[in-house]
Parts: sequence; C-alpha cells; structure tokens
Amino acid sequence: MSGYDRALSVFSPDGHVFQVEYALEAVKRGTCAVGVRGADIVVLGCEKRTAMKLQDTRITPSKIAVIDHHVCLAFAGLNADARVLVDKARVEAQSHRLTVEDPVTIEYLTKHIAGIQQKYTQSGGVRPFGISTLIIGFDPYDKTPRLYQTEPSGIYSAWKANAIGRSSKTVREFLEKNYEEDMNREATIRLTIKSLLEVVQTGAKNIEIAIMASGKRIEMLPVDSIEQYVRDIEAEKEAEAAKKKSRAQTSSN
Amino acid sequence: MDVILGITTEKEVIVITSRAAVRGVSILKTDDDKTRVVAPHTLLAYTGEAGDTVQFAEYIQANIQLHEMRNTTELSPPAITSFIRTQLATSLRSRKPYNVNVLVAGFDTATDKPELNWIDYLASRVKVPYAAHGYAAYYTLSLLDRWHRTDLTLAEGLEVADMCIAELKKRLPIDFKGVEIKVVDKDGVRTEKVTE
Amino acid sequence: MSDPSSINGGSIVAMAGKDCVAIACDMRLGMQALTVSNDFPKIFQYNNSFIGLTGLGTDVTTLSEVFRYKVNMYNLREERDIEPETFANLVSTTLYEKRFGPYFVGPVVAGINSKSGKPYICGFDLIGCINFAKDFVVGGTSSHQLFGMCESLWEPDLEPEDLFETISQALMNAQDRDALSGWGGIVYVITKDKIVKRLLKTRQD
Repeated sequence: MSGYDRALSVFSPDGHVFQVEYALEAVKRGTCAVGVRGADIVVLGCEKRTAMKLQDTRITPSKIAVIDHHVCLAFAGLNADARVLVDKARVEAQSHRLTVEDPVTIEYLTKHIAGIQQKYTQSGGVRPFGISTLIIGFDPYDKTPRLYQTEPSGIYSAWKANAIGRSSKTVREFLEKNYEEDMNREATIRLTIKSLLEVVQTGAKNIEIAIMASGKRIEMLPVDSIEQYVRDIEAEKEAEAAKKKSRAQTSSN
Repeated sequence: MDVILGITTEKEVIVITSRAAVRGVSILKTDDDKTRVVAPHTLLAYTGEAGDTVQFAEYIQANIQLHEMRNTTELSPPAITSFIRTQLATSLRSRKPYNVNVLVAGFDTATDKPELNWIDYLASRVKVPYAAHGYAAYYTLSLLDRWHRTDLTLAEGLEVADMCIAELKKRLPIDFKGVEIKVVDKDGVRTEKVTE
Repeated sequence: MSDPSSINGGSIVAMAGKDCVAIACDMRLGMQALTVSNDFPKIFQYNNSFIGLTGLGTDVTTLSEVFRYKVNMYNLREERDIEPETFANLVSTTLYEKRFGPYFVGPVVAGINSKSGKPYICGFDLIGCINFAKDFVVGGTSSHQLFGMCESLWEPDLEPEDLFETISQALMNAQDRDALSGWGGIVYVITKDKIVKRLLKTRQD
C-alpha cells in the first residue's frame, strides 16, 4: 500500500486523491445509463440488472428517479449511495420551490448535486458517493431539453448525448458516430435503445426508458413498446448484414 | 373577513373562496386565490393572519409534494388532513403559533368518495358535510342545514352555493369582490366559476 | 369565554353497576356558541379500557392519538392487553408530563378488569390527578348538571340494562341544560364478555 489512500482528503505526491478514483471504479462496475437530447424531448435509457427468479420486478426500485415533476435522474454505481443523493436532491427541489416560488432549473439542480458530491471528497469521516448521474429535464418556462452529468469528484458537464457506467466508452463512441442534431421523438428513443443494445445482450426486458417532454410529466416507456423498438432495430441490422453479404459476394464474383 | 366555504355533494366537493384581499379598511386585491392544490385530489383553502396563511399553505404543499416524490404515490385526503392537523397542533404550543384556519377538500380515490375536513388554528379537526370559517359561517351554516343533502348533484350543489353567496353579499358589511368556485372530484381540482 | 376548556364544549359521564360499567358522551363540537359539527365522538377504546375526553377539541384528538401510540407500544412490549387500572395511571403520568403547559382536558376512564372482573371508573383533572370513584364520575361543560342528575338517578348494583337507562337519562337531561353540549350521544355498556354501543338520538339544538 502506498499509504496515500488511507485518509480521504490526502493527496498522493503525484496529485491523485485515490478514494475519488476508487469511486469512479465503482461507477464503471455499475449498470449502464444513457441520456440523449432530441429536438423537443430528452430520453434516459437504463440497463436493468437481470432479476433473480423470485424477485418481484414490479416493485423493485428503478435506476431512474423522479426529482420533481420536471426533472429526473439516472445513475450508475452504488444503488444505496444513490438513494441518499436522490433524497437530498428532492428536498432541495421542494425547498427551492418554497423559497423562490419557482421550480429548480436543471443546471441549478445539477450544480447542487455536484456540490454535494464534491463536499464528500473533502470532508472528514466520509467517503465519496460511488455514483455518476445523468440529469434530464426542462427548465421552467422553457422548451429546450437539458442533459447533464455529474461525477463522484463533483465535476458536472452538459451533453447532447452521453453514457455512464459499464461499457460507457463503447456506448459513447456509438453515440458520437450516430448522433444527429434535432432528432424527432421516434429517432431519439430509437437511438437511445440502439446505443444500449451495444452493451445489453439480453434485449428489451433488461432495458428501461424514461421520456421527458416540455410541460409534461415523466413517461416510462412500457415493455412491449421497448420490445417493438428492439425487434425493429434487430430486423434492420439483419437486413444490413444480408445486404453487406450479398455485396461481398457480387464483388468477389 | 374572508369567505371560505366548503360543500360536499354526492361525487365532489365544492370550495368557495372570496376574491378580495383585505388589510384593515383597504381592499388591496380583487383576484386573490385563497387555495393551494397540495396533491392531485386535495385542495387546501385557508384564512387567518396575513403572513401566516400563504406561508403555512405552501409549507404543507412542499412537504406533501416531497412525500409524493419520495414514495411515488399520492397521499389520501385523510392522510393529508391528519398531517396538517399535527403541524397546527405542534405549532399551537410553540413560541409563535400559526394563526391559520383551513378547509381540506379532497376526493379519496381509494374509497371513491369526496371528503371535507374543517380545521381551525387550535388544530380542532372534524370531518363534515359542509363547513365555513369566520363570519361567513354565521350566515351560511343555517342555509346549508336547510338545503344540504348527501346525494346532491353538482348542479344542485352549485345552486346551494349560489344561495349562500347571495346571502353573504346581502349581509356582510364589506364587499368581498366575488368568489372563486372550485370543484374537487375524481379527475382532480378544477376552477368551476369565477364571479365579479 | 376564552377559557380553553369551554371553547368547543362537550360532556362525559361514567357509571359503575353490578359487574358492569357504562360510559357516555355527547356529540357536539363548537366554537363558542356556534355548532360546527354534530359528529364528534369523545370516547375512545384501548383494549378493554375506555376513555372519554372532554375539553379543548385539539387536545381531545391529540391525546387520543398519544394514547393509541402508547397502548400499542405497551401491547408490543408486554405482549398482553392493558388493564383499566394500568391505563388510568398511564393517562395520569401522560398528563402530568405537561404540568406547566397542560392539555386542557377532563378525562374519564371506565373498564372492567379482565382478571378480577371488577368494574373500574375514575376521573382526572387536567394535570392528571386521579379521582377514583365507586359510583359515578363526570366531566365536561355540563359536569355540574351531570352531578345533579347522577346524584338523584344512580343507585348501587344496577344491572346492565338499568345502568344504560340511568346513564342515558343522566346525560340527556344534563346536556339539555347546557348550551355547549348535546346534539346526540353515544353510550357504551361494558360487561365482562360483552360491549354494547348505542347511539342516542337527542334534541338537535
């Protein structure tokens, strides 16, 4: 042991805070979450861990949490840590409404969450939150979809599309290749599911999709609807593969 | 004195609140809304000391909504009423108690029944078929004793409400600048009518 | 008239008979002279103990909830029902805890001890001083009238049916002479193995 990871707030000589890096490691082991912004909606997609045979999936808590009517959050990392952070965010959302008579903006809430995460990297007797979050929603009196990310270190950033958690690198590269500006509802949902399918082998029943539109409450996409998207995407992939094959054959002839 | 009135019918609760905001001898506002929607099926109507009322109502609203966010479920009207009463009862024996009287109008989606609760600043709570706070009670309760039935339709309920408003207009010494009539039923809270 | 214990109004009476007890209350809740509700019962049951709470409406509700909590905790800890004598002491200590900022109530406890089968009735002042009685106890805004009625109607060793008649007449005639009580009544007649609850339809004014 180097000794620099004993106390949380101690730097190693080369400027690392090890505990924060370990927290990032916990995030990497968490299930994958994707966020994509369209022209007028924003979508969260989550990989669901395969449920055990006797688990009651209907009432097992989801990885997507509603913070206020117009904000929702998905996370990757330690579930238990997320519960605490989500609760703090919900209290802040209501407290903000009460004190200034306005709902929180997405940036304000992101900053607040990131602020809490930062505090837990610099205080005594605590450890950092082992989670990254994707925060989506709409500011009050505004129709622009928002997507933010926070990390255990307290960094936050805005995105057009992004992924966190297991294999997030693969998904992010996929999104970089396939993202288009001003996608409509269908295209946005489709891209979210398609990008998740890059890392989720088991298909629709292990995917969760939440959609937010301006002035509306959160909409969780029903399973059969996700299944339809998955079937369409797979059919398309097969057709493309077949086309490629026949092209390869003709060129070799 | 503000007018706060609640009437249950067979399938809904009618809530009537005056539109004037009065301070001393002046009318400051003629489009005042003395209600807050605290949950999809629960409306809180209030009167009392100027600063306290809105402060208290919004405090209740924030806590009920937080509960809704935390548990992804709507609290029932009796649960909300119980919470409000406890808050007022605690406040009553504090250094500076809230001086707020409220009516809690709700539609219980579990039992499919409308319900109205009367709570004063002392935190006395009763479930009632119809109720009023302040001077309005003296003029309207006798009318309601005569005309109220538990099986009133909405139209009949609004008719009784109109009788009460007419009586208040006739007898109250200060113009209360019309009323807002709201209805709470299985579909939630809506504004039925606003009069001048 | 701003006396806390007579803002909302209400009355309670309990009587002992032969191997039975009865407890009765009115149904009114008002604000000074204005009646707000005629459906505000003031008797609460905890296992085989009954308590009638009169006085300030808010404290009636608060205390009924406090006793529900405390009796539930007692049941869980002791794994048995609470007896009327024990419950009376619980009421007493609960009230005395607020000695210098009291609940404005006049409670009356009634019940039959499940082991000995003995009737038990007692009353309290607002800070929990127990007043144990062999015959009857009264409380609330018509307590003076109730004393008079009970004094003239009650006799020793009444059977349950006679006890019901006695307590009902005592309550009804007392509350007719009190502007702050009335609007219906509830009577519980308790014997060792039976509880009978009856609603009294009385004058509505």
